[in-house]
Amino acid sequence: MRFDDMTEAIGNTPLVRIDPAVHGLINIDLYAKMELLNPFGSLKDRAAWQMARPLLAGAADRGDTVVELSSGNTAKALAMLAGMHGLKFKSVTNRMKVPEIKDLLLLLGAEIDELPGQAECLDPTDTEDPLSRMHRTLTSNGSGYVHTDQYFNELNVEAHLHGTGPEIVKDLDGRAPDYFIACVGTAGSSTGVARALRQHDPDVRVLGLVAAKSDFIPGIRTIDEVHEVGLFDPGVYDTIETITSDDAIDGLLTLVRRCGTPAGPTGGGAFQGAVRHLAAIDATLTERRTAVFIVCDRVESYLSYLRERRPTLFGRPARRNDTRSLTDDEVAAAPTIDVNEAERWSGLIVDLRNPHAFQALHLDGSINIVDELFAELLHGGLPFSRRQPVLLVCPVGEKSARYAALLTRMGHPSVRSLEGGIIAWRDAGAPLVRD
Amino acid sequence: MSTLLTDLLKRPSGESLVPDLRPLQLTPKIDPITQSVLAEDAVLRQLVDGLGSPLNIVLPEALDTNVEAFRAVYRQHRLRGRVYFAHKANRSVALVRHLAADAEAGIDVASLAELQAALSAGFAPERIVATGPKNREFLWLAALSGIIVNADSLDELSELAAVIAARRLPRARIMVRFSEFASHGVQLVSRRSRFGVPFAQLAEALDRVDKHANQLDLVGVSYHLDTIGLPEKAVALEGCLAALDACRRRGGTAWSLDIGGGFGVNYLADGREWERYTSELAQAVLGRRAPMTWNGHGYGLRNEAGTLRGSLGLYPAYRPISGPGYLDQLLRAAAPGQRRPLGTLLLDSMYDLDIEPGRALLDQCGLVLARVLEVRGGEDGGANPDHGDQRETLVRLDLNARDISLEEHGVLMDPVVISAAPPGPIEAYLLGNLCLESDLITRRKVVLSRRPRPGDLLAFVNTAGYFMDFSATRALHQPIARKVALFQGGDGWSWCLDEHYWPVHERAEAA
Ligand SMILES: Cc1ncc(COP(=O)(O)O)c(C=O)c1O
Ligand SMILES: Cc1ncc(COP(=O)(O)O)c(C=O)c1O
Repeated sequence: MRFDDMTEAIGNTPLVRIDPAVHGLINIDLYAKMELLNPFGSLKDRAAWQMARPLLAGAADRGDTVVELSSGNTAKALAMLAGMHGLKFKSVTNRMKVPEIKDLLLLLGAEIDELPGQAECLDPTDTEDPLSRMHRTLTSNGSGYVHTDQYFNELNVEAHLHGTGPEIVKDLDGRAPDYFIACVGTAGSSTGVARALRQHDPDVRVLGLVAAKSDFIPGIRTIDEVHEVGLFDPGVYDTIETITSDDAIDGLLTLVRRCGTPAGPTGGGAFQGAVRHLAAIDATLTERRTAVFIVCDRVESYLSYLRERRPTLFGRPARRNDTRSLTDDEVAAAPTIDVNEAERWSGLIVDLRNPHAFQALHLDGSINIVDELFAELLHGGLPFSRRQPVLLVCPVGEKSARYAALLTRMGHPSVRSLEGGIIAWRDAGAPLVRD
Repeated sequence: MSTLLTDLLKRPSGESLVPDLRPLQLTPKIDPITQSVLAEDAVLRQLVDGLGSPLNIVLPEALDTNVEAFRAVYRQHRLRGRVYFAHKANRSVALVRHLAADAEAGIDVASLAELQAALSAGFAPERIVATGPKNREFLWLAALSGIIVNADSLDELSELAAVIAARRLPRARIMVRFSEFASHGVQLVSRRSRFGVPFAQLAEALDRVDKHANQLDLVGVSYHLDTIGLPEKAVALEGCLAALDACRRRGGTAWSLDIGGGFGVNYLADGREWERYTSELAQAVLGRRAPMTWNGHGYGLRNEAGTLRGSLGLYPAYRPISGPGYLDQLLRAAAPGQRRPLGTLLLDSMYDLDIEPGRALLDQCGLVLARVLEVRGGEDGGANPDHGDQRETLVRLDLNARDISLEEHGVLMDPVVISAAPPGPIEAYLLGNLCLESDLITRRKVVLSRRPRPGDLLAFVNTAGYFMDFSATRALHQPIARKVALFQGGDGWSWCLDEHYWPVHERAEAA
């Protein structure tokens, strides 16, 4: 395989059989369309390239910025494509909830505009929502923007009608599967693939999966939001079902741990939704059937999403010298001194507050080690000699007392905490300086 | 098994939809204090008989719970600072006097008359902050009485300094309100605000204060953002921290950061009702179910060629995290720049946190009563699938949409029926007492627990914040509602006219 540029690597992804021992279906062969193997990382590479290609030449001449409403994969792909053509890319979103994706987009050189939250006091004269306003600016001529408009652009569907769909048929030896299962974001992939499959066999059953209301699965719509999508036509789907973020994570874990497939949450959701839906049918079958679902993208971008929802997956062994292991008695017995005594302190003074606060005002002669860093240091052992007296300072004397208790337990004989913290110090009129 | 939604969406082969006809209730959240008032139906009837419909009821004692809940968040975060009640949310003097009796609580006044009300209720000047744009009279009384002036613009700083210099008044404690904060990395687009000094003019603002150092004593900085979005507020709060640091670098001694109001209220008892209602509303706008609103009003949603466009112009009435909980969440949120919790940053720098909640402090602090004048249509009583006008139930009330501005503020909740009629839910439109086609109390068909009869009362609960007297007018010479304060007397509720309430009634004396 020798290519002139990365866009040639888009598409032609493998269709991989899922081990029946994993999914447990008796009469159905379940295949995954491995869209995670696209060069920029997802299924959306196809749509991004299809939509952007006709716009790029003109845009490059005018120096326009490519813009899209996207919180993830489409933005990623468009940012890469724009960069290859010397163009800027801007993503407009109100749903950028996954920090890794945000950081990745910034790394790729994208600009990100986030739309404001709803007004607390309703303004009845404000009849237009920020999204519509943004839309209008983008589409006016000479705006300096080219808008790929993935939620309404037919090319988004065509990318899959001519690409993803026919590839599936080819890999199934010229036959369409009996069931096709996909998560619905812009509806581009499910609509295009369904159309291609039905050209071969009008009886293909299509299952669309959306997130349950008030749930969040990055990349796809909830059951309500899907109606805001221009490409969405309920007639495409034989069934629309909801999946929860829990379903998506369960499926993801199965795919990554048992199937050698580093799938993201929507791949997991598609697997879980497919098995759940097909299990009911499987029991009534007497002949073999095939089913295909889509694995849209990869797991790596979703670590914080997973950490937030399944913290236990990341459980690490407890670290030594942790303030959380202190008993109430130990904390109560922490050695403290009051402001008067502290004014005469001649040893080291460690201020645990953040650097801005420290730089603005502090006790003369103190040094600043912010609490998070101090905690890290202590995991490694005593960071100063036992012969060095240390006074710890924090805002109200609570954190410093915990650290004083911990250092005492670690064997430091002359550590003290400033009672009432720097606030008590200030309130007593003791001197604070800035350097 | 998952929720199977097949029946909601058309199959290509064209099986018809099975519409969901259960009444779309939006049951208000009713706390025990409101419940115990509703239980006194005889008293409520007498009050309306004697004082007319509509009648506003305020519950000053409910304020105590809300103030305490905010203070609990302060304690949790080890923060100090003042809770200022945003007076604009309700004109009641009883509420203001009751709050004045709490030695620590403050009040945020946004007009000359509100300042007069606060002073005459007994608030000491250090417990009063003036916000919003101010005219010369307001600035003068503010300076004369020695309250804190939260300046809305650079010109206002100069004007205040001029007033003080010309009349040789004492130096005024001031804050500066900032707006249009810059975010890094991700560009957070904020709604444009007419208020406050753009953050880009921070240096200019501090110069202006320095220039008038003999008249102005900067004690803090502030923001108030009209948004429910936490990320925007996190950016603003971190911006204000930077402003205070800048002030400190110049040798200033400002210690306070005032983050305004906008903490929100949870109006509904059950999130599932809200979810179902909003889902069904979208279906109705798309023409996939019978209308649920007068003339198919979409509350901002519209149908463009089968696609839902626009955005829902409604207050998110079900907000499990609101009021004190919202403050807690904000303080726990990491500052976008420093990535350390905002509450910790405030504490690290020894800054006091001031807040100006309006709506959130008035949670469960009052209700509006209206008499039923006429009940028309829908005689069969049950939910009605046809949209034939004859068969809709219409309930005409002796109040108008300005008396209870729920609709104007986009808050949807069902009123409580006070009636001896047999229970059995009905759906109805509520009409007002102005001879105007537009005088609908709500464009949404509400669900009533029973079919009321003329003379019965409807109670619009939890309406003290902004819905009670904010918009009321005397159009058509209709009276403006009288206001009554209810308080715990010896045994059960006692009442007096709002203007007669002082927080020294017997029960308070005994305590
Ligand atoms: C992770 C993920 N899964 C699934 C989808 C759904 O694809 P489509 O937009 O074609 O409906 C998207 C689309 O953005 C996505 O980002
Ligand atoms: C400056 C200021 N502070 C406080 C408030 C009170 O806001 P809320 O009632 O949403 O808490 C407002 C409301 O407009 C305001 O403008």
